[in-house]
Amino acid sequence: MKAIYNFKKTHISIIVILIMAAFSGCERDDFQKLPERNWELIWSDEFEGDSLDLSKWNFDIGTGEDGWGNQELQSYTNNPANISLDGQGHLVITAIQDGNRFTSARINTQGLFSQQYGRFEARLKTPFGPGLWPAFWLLGDNIETVGWPQCGEIDVMELRGQEPHTIHGSIHGPGYSGGNPVSRNYTLINDRFDNDFNEFAIEWDADKIDFFVNDYLYQRIENTDTPGEWVFDQPFFILLNVAVGGNYVGFPTAQTPFPQKMIVDYVRVYREVN
Amino acid sequence: MKANIIIRFMQHLAAGLLLVFFMGCEREITDLEVASSPANPEVFIDGFSPGLNYAAFGGSVPTAFDVDNDVTWNNSTASMRFEVPDANDPRGSFAGGVFFTEAGRDLSGFNALTFWAKATQSVTIGEIGFGNDLGENKHVVSINGLNITTGWKKYIIPIPDPSRLTNERGLFWYAAGNIDGKGFTFWIDEVRYEKLGTIAHPKFAILNGEDQEETSFIGVSKVVGGLTSTFNMPTGINQAINIAPAYFEFESSDPSIATVDERGHITVTGGPGNAEITAHVGDVPADGSLIIQSQGVFVHAPVPTQAPEDVISIFSDHYDDVPVNYYNGFWEPFQTTVSADFEVNGDRVLHYLDFNFVGIEFSSPTVNASNMTHLHINIYLPNPLNTNAQFQVELVDFGADVAGSVATTITVDEAQQWITLDLPLDNFPGLTSRSNLAQIIFVDVNGNIPSFYADNIFFYNEGDAPPLTEPAPTPTHAPENVISIFSDHYDNVPVDYYNGYWEPWQTTDSEFYEINGDNMLYYFQFNFVGIEFANPTVDASSMTHLHVHIYLPNPLYANAQFLVKLVDFGAGVEGTLTTTITVDQTQQWLSLNLPLANFPGLTSRSNLAQIIFEDINGNIPSFYADNIYFYSN
Repeated sequence: MKAIYNFKKTHISIIVILIMAAFSGCERDDFQKLPERNWELIWSDEFEGDSLDLSKWNFDIGTGEDGWGNQELQSYTNNPANISLDGQGHLVITAIQDGNRFTSARINTQGLFSQQYGRFEARLKTPFGPGLWPAFWLLGDNIETVGWPQCGEIDVMELRGQEPHTIHGSIHGPGYSGGNPVSRNYTLINDRFDNDFNEFAIEWDADKIDFFVNDYLYQRIENTDTPGEWVFDQPFFILLNVAVGGNYVGFPTAQTPFPQKMIVDYVRVYREVN
Repeated sequence: MKANIIIRFMQHLAAGLLLVFFMGCEREITDLEVASSPANPEVFIDGFSPGLNYAAFGGSVPTAFDVDNDVTWNNSTASMRFEVPDANDPRGSFAGGVFFTEAGRDLSGFNALTFWAKATQSVTIGEIGFGNDLGENKHVVSINGLNITTGWKKYIIPIPDPSRLTNERGLFWYAAGNIDGKGFTFWIDEVRYEKLGTIAHPKFAILNGEDQEETSFIGVSKVVGGLTSTFNMPTGINQAINIAPAYFEFESSDPSIATVDERGHITVTGGPGNAEITAHVGDVPADGSLIIQSQGVFVHAPVPTQAPEDVISIFSDHYDDVPVNYYNGFWEPFQTTVSADFEVNGDRVLHYLDFNFVGIEFSSPTVNASNMTHLHINIYLPNPLNTNAQFQVELVDFGADVAGSVATTITVDEAQQWITLDLPLDNFPGLTSRSNLAQIIFVDVNGNIPSFYADNIFFYNEGDAPPLTEPAPTPTHAPENVISIFSDHYDNVPVDYYNGYWEPWQTTDSEFYEINGDNMLYYFQFNFVGIEFANPTVDASSMTHLHVHIYLPNPLYANAQFLVKLVDFGAGVEGTLTTTITVDQTQQWLSLNLPLANFPGLTSRSNLAQIIFEDINGNIPSFYADNIYFYSN
């Protein structure tokens, strides 16, 4: 069964939200109103049941090359201690410390599912603490042939555990990768992303990629905004992981609490229908 | 500047919102029953908030705190300045005090105390927090060792359970000492209570988060310890805070077995039976639990029988104890042992938990136990044993700087009952002096004694060993079949000496002892001793056995190993044979008949020249010997 979802987008400032909260009788400020779009659900995993659906996901195992290219510390496993379903409709990826060793998990849909354009969303609760680096992200299907960053990378959500209130949405491509992506962050005021579930999404078409937190648009990257070639006109597959350490986030400290969990309620992918 | 104005505006706006909120509430008649405290979150913004007072701690520099109008956060009009004195400052040794109000405040709508701070250098503030009301300090909270740098930075101290702070008078307190003898100055500004969404994941624990079990008895009381709390701060790190027991709500699964009060005091009220003690803070369950396994009525340690004049007591309710520095030295960093001493009906009992080793010190003054013969200890292992344990006792003499230790085996079936250890002081190898004893150290050699009770720890003099009145039995071997070394019943061969006093290791002294004309050898301070008959040597080639009569006058608390060595000077060979003497074989003559063929290595016995006796286990302080001869069957 395919469902049609309607979304109405407004872009309002944080200050306005605060004022709204205080004076709930206020009218919604609807400047920067987005056009209504109709979305058809194409692919999803609600993480129901007792075990990960291996018709949808592959495991990445081990330490990769040079810590998955980022000097990450963890070794990825498919051990249930690192990745499992909690039986209550959630995927749980757990980063575990054992002395100086760390284990965690990373899964992807490469070869099983990919899509060009549309809405990619996940509802999840992040881990926290210095050195924790959770991510919900996409890579271009042609990574095996053209390599990274030519294949393109869309980071729908990544977070540095030492800033549990701030997520980052980024794209990487040729000439704008690694430490120099096109990126913007989104910060919760007086709250954190590990306190509760939040929904992270992109809406992607031939012209642009919009980044959302809880349906609030905080970044639009148009195909003319990248300093290098726009490589986002091909199918991308999905990844979910929790890294420990690495170039992006730094090392965990003695005060970083372990184990740490990323709890994912769902991942859903839509296509726009007219 | 602009930011400042906005912040001021926001403050006013917030206050306005609060006002609106309160004005919007309709009061019911029932609301008037309880007068509520004001919910003012401000402690020190640009001066003392209404009703705020300051009192310095005793021993601190009374003038350490002052209001500073020059060094302030964000160019505000005033901050709090604290001057920590140098070491040996005659005005006081530290800076510390309490900011409190006469009327309590309702802080239940906030979840943290926050402030901005900086210092003249990077410093560590010993303790800082809130809830100190110069009275009961029921809800005191602090952070130990708060690091403050030279730039203004915001600090947060979480409130463990804000619902408890409906009438709090202790709004802020601190205590800071010098660093390497040098004082310093630090400033604090914008001290207020806030409701923060950026601190999260509170974790609480009792017993340091461990699930423990413990045997106990009716009448035993103890306090739940190991109360810890951490919050995850806005930077993602976990911050440990000290919180008062009153934040914990303790529960007993069966109050008919054990009760626990709001301060965590457990009292065992019934049994036999089990009660589990748990706790929570607000709606967060605390990690850790304690299962009290009540055995019912407490079994006291056996009442010691030694006369008070023969006793030097370290810990007993039956004697006067000498001054003791401590019953647990908490020797860092390797000691894990903690104490939970208790008292039942006036009987104090030492209780050691998480036992690996623990020391008792009585060095002021030291104890002269030269005239004492034994150390007495009652111990009780409340946990069952899966395998035998080794309970080691070490005695340390501070005068001669010597120590000796003795390990006692505690068998599986000796757990969960009182055990009496009577350890002869002569049996502590290496303890060559006991005139300045200062420490008793207990060690769990096998690591399988999680806890034990101890009572009646004292030195005593058991009096002289009962005098030997029975001569050795008359030997029955025919003289023609005997080559005698020492006996009044045979002709002895020439003997060079019956005690070689072999330096430097031999401690054994000796004398002849006579009963009704029958001579015996008496060896004391025994470790080993040699008899030599080299002029001429003895040809025992045709003999089959060595015979020795021995008598141990002192009681044995563990089996002894009595070693005999024979040395042949002709072939340059020797052989040893060890005989076990059981604890029930003391104070009686034992006849050792040692087959010469059983001395391995003794390949020749045509030129025998030495017999050597040795105390393998170090628990034979003295013995008598008689009728030492070779014979053939």
